[in-house]
Amino acid sequence: MPHQLGPMQTLPSPMRRFAENETVDYCIVGVGSAGGVLVQRLARAGFSVVALEAGPFWDTEKDWVSDEKGSHELYWNDLRITGGTHPLALGANNSGKGVGGGSVHWAAFAPRFHPSDFRVYSEDGVGVDWPISYWDLKPYYELLEREIPVAGPAWFPWGDPHGHPYGPHPLGGVGDVLVRGCTRLGIRSVAGGPVAILSASHGDRPHCIYRGFCLQGCKVGAKASTLITHVPDAITHGAEIRAHSMASRVSLGNDGRVDGVVYFDREGRERFQKSRAVIVSGYAIETPRLLLNSACPGHRHGLANSSGTLGKYLMAQAGNVIAGRFEELIRLYKAPPAHALSEEFYETDKNRNFARGFAIQTVGPLPVAFAKQMVAAMGAWGWGMRRVMMDYNHWATIGVLGEILPWEDNRVELAREKDQHGLPVAKVTFNLHENDKKLIEFGKKKVMDVMWAAGAKQVVQESRFAHLVGAARMGNDPSESVVDKFGRTHDISNLFVCDGSTLPTQGSANPGLTIQALAARTADYLIRQGDSIFASNRRDLAEPGIRHDLSPPYTRFKGNPRIA
Amino acid sequence: MSRKSFPSLATGDDLRDLSQPGYYAGYSTMAQKKGWDQATRNLVTERVDKIPPIRFFSPQEAKVLGAVIDRLIPQDDRSEARTIPILPAIDERLHKNSLNGFRYEDMPPDQEAYRLGLKAIDEMAQSRFGQSFVELAVHRQELILKSLHDGKPDPEHDAWKQMPVHRFWALLMEDCVTAYYSHPWAWDEIGYGGPAYPRGYMRLENGLPEPWEKDEQPYEWNAPADSLSEFEEAGIPPEHGSLHGHGGSH
Repeated sequence: MPHQLGPMQTLPSPMRRFAENETVDYCIVGVGSAGGVLVQRLARAGFSVVALEAGPFWDTEKDWVSDEKGSHELYWNDLRITGGTHPLALGANNSGKGVGGGSVHWAAFAPRFHPSDFRVYSEDGVGVDWPISYWDLKPYYELLEREIPVAGPAWFPWGDPHGHPYGPHPLGGVGDVLVRGCTRLGIRSVAGGPVAILSASHGDRPHCIYRGFCLQGCKVGAKASTLITHVPDAITHGAEIRAHSMASRVSLGNDGRVDGVVYFDREGRERFQKSRAVIVSGYAIETPRLLLNSACPGHRHGLANSSGTLGKYLMAQAGNVIAGRFEELIRLYKAPPAHALSEEFYETDKNRNFARGFAIQTVGPLPVAFAKQMVAAMGAWGWGMRRVMMDYNHWATIGVLGEILPWEDNRVELAREKDQHGLPVAKVTFNLHENDKKLIEFGKKKVMDVMWAAGAKQVVQESRFAHLVGAARMGNDPSESVVDKFGRTHDISNLFVCDGSTLPTQGSANPGLTIQALAARTADYLIRQGDSIFASNRRDLAEPGIRHDLSPPYTRFKGNPRIA
Repeated sequence: MSRKSFPSLATGDDLRDLSQPGYYAGYSTMAQKKGWDQATRNLVTERVDKIPPIRFFSPQEAKVLGAVIDRLIPQDDRSEARTIPILPAIDERLHKNSLNGFRYEDMPPDQEAYRLGLKAIDEMAQSRFGQSFVELAVHRQELILKSLHDGKPDPEHDAWKQMPVHRFWALLMEDCVTAYYSHPWAWDEIGYGGPAYPRGYMRLENGLPEPWEKDEQPYEWNAPADSLSEFEEAGIPPEHGSLHGHGGSH
């Protein structure tokens, strides 16, 4: 049986296997949103690349199911400790394990960040500015929107207004509630995207069938994940994806440069992959954990941590879910959970008593997730739980997606507990600060207003958090950040970080598209620098210029519409 | 099967021993399984046909947890043959150490939390009513559990100094609803479409049923009049305590 990546695409075979002692150009740790794009670009450009992935290499037909409980293995389920005044739920809430990483179970909302997101300190005096601007990233947003590709309205009015290469999806019941409620309050909304789900077929990927299982892995292959968008092309171009390989330590040579990655294979044997450069793409918890676990003489507090900021400035977004019960039937399980939104409250408004803002987005919990929400939002149990769930089809759910600022005390450290390999696990600490609390309070009330305006008979809400970024942030100042604007660590010139952990601030946009755009930019930089990455410690910060010839198949002849 | 709190104090229609509670009479997700992909069909069919043996809990712990579950997700309206197994699903998770990816810093590992919590519940029953939890009348069982739900254990017990009661409550409730609402008989009860690949949906707006789904046929029903787990008339607080969501909606 061929290895299926969606119903129509199969894994390119055979995949190149590098010999045990072979030194490759790049060893990438983690094949998620960023790692998948990186490995594809670098392989296309002719580098030898091995990408280590802690989880399995999914066969979407055999391994994935149309079932909530049965999709448990998609998430990072290994132990982590969570604490602080507002402890983050991890696992299914925000972390993936397996080729494709979190992009396998993201809802696939794909909005861009706004230009203001890159200048939060300059404009609002909070957080920190990015070392790049929106305009540096814009060409990569456009490119990735064509590659994965993104469906949505031809005119998206917020931030830098833009259109989307694929047309918007039909409206589901929850989207209809969002549009109706917003309209009655005079709030602009869009429907049918932007979402990285196909509204028309794309090469060897079928379009969406509206079954609502986006968070359980898209068996249809309509929702983008790097497993199906970039990894097949990486393998075609000679990259090796080594699944079930859990990195334990980045190895430092005598010359002060990294020389490879130590990892545990499927049988638990310790192995060493030699490489000329290393890119860590493990996301906002595993990336700092690996670098902290790589502490060695000369780097007592972890690799690339001379600033002391590694693991700090971790961010999650406010993800409060507002649920409303309607007289009429909604059937919220149909249509993608992500399909209508408003960014009307995204920017700082001087009339409010806090900086920055939030987005309003549809969510679509299936029965188990919805029942858990009712435990938290209503205190439901016993007959009350049975009763509210019998009305499941009458409920609609809308989420706040609110910007929480980067704070030094929100952090990833090593815990005393060890995992199955004997490696210290991550301890995550999360505290809300005054601005965050005011923003959440305002956002929550606003979305409850939307739900009432749409005609709900009862409105309840659940506090929660969504996404994870930060903890190895980029910046120009080596004493205040871990990596430079291309993801190169300030301390070690052939060690890079490329994933959500480099984000200095997070806006109120889902981070997936931005993470992929940054990965494509880092790849262009590495390709432009060529062998000098492997041979020299010289740091050249010249812009590489975007490459349009390294995209996966089916990207050509597509455009980014703009209807002004 | 535990004692039923129905129907003696129920004031609505007699809801005993229904093969399918809920408002979607005649709707069956399992009847659709020919339209599902092989992997999903195997998984869901096994969930219905094969109930895992109890391997983690001791017989005594299993008895207490069984009685607790009967109050957390009461199934007194369901017929014996259509009772959804919850205890075996929780036991299997703990036996296999199938974690959810995180542990609160103020909580012990899930397995210890269960052992500690069940022992506490039974001892609370003894000290308040002089009987083990399993032997208590339903209403008294609910009094103990409601005190945990409210975050005010009555009587107090040392276990709740070792782990916050609201976190234990959330752990317990989330495991219970995961077992119950992942079962196709519960999908039939709430009118949820169930697995939908490769078929998909075509009627997205206006809550309309697909040709294989059923229209809703709502009816009034009452929980037992003395039940403490029904929503209170006074209305529902906008948010329950300090619980935070774990569902992963977006």
